[in-house]
Amino acid sequence: MTRSGFPLLVPVLALTLALAAAAIGTAWAVESAAGRKDPAKAITSQLICPCSCGEILSGCVCETGKTMQGFVSDELKAGKNGEQITASLVSKYGEVILGAPKAEGFNLIVWVAPFLATLVGFVIAAFVLRRWVRRRSDLALAGAGSMPGAGGTGGVTVPGTRQAAAEQDLAAYRARAEEELRRLEE
Amino acid sequence: MSEIGKLTLFLAFLCSCYGVVSIAVGLRSGMAGPLRSGRRAVWVVCALTLLATVLLVRVLVKRDFSFRYVAEHTSLDLPAHYAVSSLWAGQEGSLLLWLLILSAYGAAFLWCYRKRVDPFYDAVAMVVSAVMVFFTSLLAFVCSPFRVLATPPADGNGLNPLLQDPGMMIHPPILYIGYVGFIIPFAFGMAVLLMNRTGTRWIEEVRRWTLFNWMFLGFGILLGGRWAYVELGWGGYWGWDPVENASLMPWLVGTAFLHSVMIEQRRGMLKTWNVALIVLTFELSIFGTFLTRSGVLTSVHSFAESNIGPWFLGFILISSTIATALILYRKALLESENRLDAVVSREGSFLFNNVLFVALTFATFLGTTFPVVSEAVTGAKISVSAPFFNRVNVPIALVLLLLTGIGPVLSWKRATASVLQRNFVIPTIVGVLATLVSIPFGVQGIYPIVCVFGSAFVTAAVVMEFARGIKARKDVEPPSPAALLHLVQKNKRRYGGYIVHLGVVLIFVGVLGSSVFQKEEHAPLQKGQSLAIGPYNLTLLGVQERQVANAMQTRAEIHVERDGKRLPLMYPAKAMYFKGEQPMTEVALLQTPAEDLYVILGGVNEDGSASIQSYINPLVSLVWLGGVVMVLGTIVCLGDRMRLKREEKLLT
Repeated sequence: MTRSGFPLLVPVLALTLALAAAAIGTAWAVESAAGRKDPAKAITSQLICPCSCGEILSGCVCETGKTMQGFVSDELKAGKNGEQITASLVSKYGEVILGAPKAEGFNLIVWVAPFLATLVGFVIAAFVLRRWVRRRSDLALAGAGSMPGAGGTGGVTVPGTRQAAAEQDLAAYRARAEEELRRLEE
Repeated sequence: MSEIGKLTLFLAFLCSCYGVVSIAVGLRSGMAGPLRSGRRAVWVVCALTLLATVLLVRVLVKRDFSFRYVAEHTSLDLPAHYAVSSLWAGQEGSLLLWLLILSAYGAAFLWCYRKRVDPFYDAVAMVVSAVMVFFTSLLAFVCSPFRVLATPPADGNGLNPLLQDPGMMIHPPILYIGYVGFIIPFAFGMAVLLMNRTGTRWIEEVRRWTLFNWMFLGFGILLGGRWAYVELGWGGYWGWDPVENASLMPWLVGTAFLHSVMIEQRRGMLKTWNVALIVLTFELSIFGTFLTRSGVLTSVHSFAESNIGPWFLGFILISSTIATALILYRKALLESENRLDAVVSREGSFLFNNVLFVALTFATFLGTTFPVVSEAVTGAKISVSAPFFNRVNVPIALVLLLLTGIGPVLSWKRATASVLQRNFVIPTIVGVLATLVSIPFGVQGIYPIVCVFGSAFVTAAVVMEFARGIKARKDVEPPSPAALLHLVQKNKRRYGGYIVHLGVVLIFVGVLGSSVFQKEEHAPLQKGQSLAIGPYNLTLLGVQERQVANAMQTRAEIHVERDGKRLPLMYPAKAMYFKGEQPMTEVALLQTPAEDLYVILGGVNEDGSASIQSYINPLVSLVWLGGVVMVLGTIVCLGDRMRLKREEKLLT
């Protein structure tokens, strides 16, 4: 628990879970929505036009793109499924035709690194925040301890007095800071 | 004319060099003369660049094909306004535009701080001059727009048909104003490190400059999306094209900076982080130009490819190395107080928001450059396009949307349980209600649901903030629209920020509506045949061939009805430009606030039928509206400058 009374892990975990849930949801929603609408589009929206235009096949308006869109529709009518059609296109044109690389081998990096980086970023941010909060309270207590009559009684500290003085100091500090912030925000 | 142009650019190069040296001497010796002289050099570079630009526009408009640039990018049949915009159609011209804006920023900076007698501002001008040395040297020695042809052709190659669109007359300059403008925050950051300057005054100045550039870059990106929507003819406005990504990256890092800078201003924290963000924003804006120019990646901007990529890469490497070395060298200067009252506070939420913005930038950068890296490592060509970015970037963006609502309702310093309860309960209830209401309308899947919840949550949180502000002032002024206006006027920075957040929500809702609920129908139609899409019925009346300006157009005439009610005729077309190789799609659009009917002519088949492709893009208007609201919000934030100036005046 931090001094603020909130477990530090809660925001980190909440954000991470939200990110993971949204990631799964996105993939599911995009694919299922496309699939429900039009099976041909579900396939072509994951492919790149093999000409040099570099556009997503489903929205490509060049001649090659239109031919390829027709090919996918014909293959579906012939009874092939999406995986078979994609595999046949990959064998013909190479993996460059896939809009996103397969999550395997070296290319796994591109899928994992962004989420890993986000997670590491969250963890670092959480630790940094916790350190800053601790430093704040340590400094306040140290400041209170060094004040004459506020716990620093000739080298002998009286815990109760010191804590009370520290709290008094903190309250004064907070009031001052609140006043400054209020003025800033006005 | 060619010699005058070349000489002008050469002189601009000399003046840029002189500016750097003169100011450096002045800073070292403390003499006012060299400093004054160096500042004047910046003005002279601006004037010379303006002259060079005027000269180039003149020969473009005159279609003087003895100039290579004119012959490559214009033709006799090109309308005059597009002859002007061909200034940024090619490498040399767009570099000249870049330099013009850069030098204008330098001059504007000197004008803004003309009354400040402080060597710090001279150091800023020196950094701007140093960047001008790079651009003037490119234009003077590597790719001059004033090169002439030994044998001028009778006619030019013409302007790329993709660029013959009214949007292209404003999109690049607006984008460049944003891109190039990041030089000023970068120069401020470098000057702070060079001059070992302490204090926080500069950070407020940097915030304002960044806000201005950020607004233009964002608006430029939006205009680019609009151009893609009406010009590329694929029914969408954002395709995660490498160059689109390149413009998005500095905008994202700039957004992170605009949030974290508030912590530095209030708490004296994150100093190193903020300088690093400034540097990264600038480097990414140069990286965008590198991507556009280098041709290392396939892009819709491949028309701008050239051989100057290595120069840009070299510049990025050198400038980022210098910046990093300076940050490390002045580490002590950037030491923060690093004390915080509580984790659950606005500061805490801003830190997480920064992580997400940087993560989003990293994901975009990785995805954009990965094809090159993967090919170098594995030897196999791969593509990383929309299917990847939709899976990786969209979830991160959704969490950011949630934080957009959470951050502002948390108190600075410490959010107590009562504050959390007071500020979160209503937005959460509104979010849940909106989600429940949206489900019967077809919102399915976690992604759309999170988007609906987040959008409603943010909107409710922002509305509550406005309501709270009006309530707090009720003794001064009773609640009314005028009170709302006065509230915004009282604290433009805060409420401008909330308006920007509302713009973000509109964009999210627009993207959700136009992607998840998009309908598409296509069919070959013979004359008199109809195609139904949603409530619309499209009937082909005929196909005509006609000549327009510098192209031959094949145009379909389509009668449109919605629920039996007649609507204006639509004319989707294919245009074959006389100087082009590929037929261009001319989209027919019927726009309403609720949805766009988007129709394109795929072509005319051998049997005489016309391939008609139609889309219904619901709520796409909110994307454009959201952009406008974001711009308005930023203008409100910038208005805060006037108040600060007045206060400064009173103090002095």
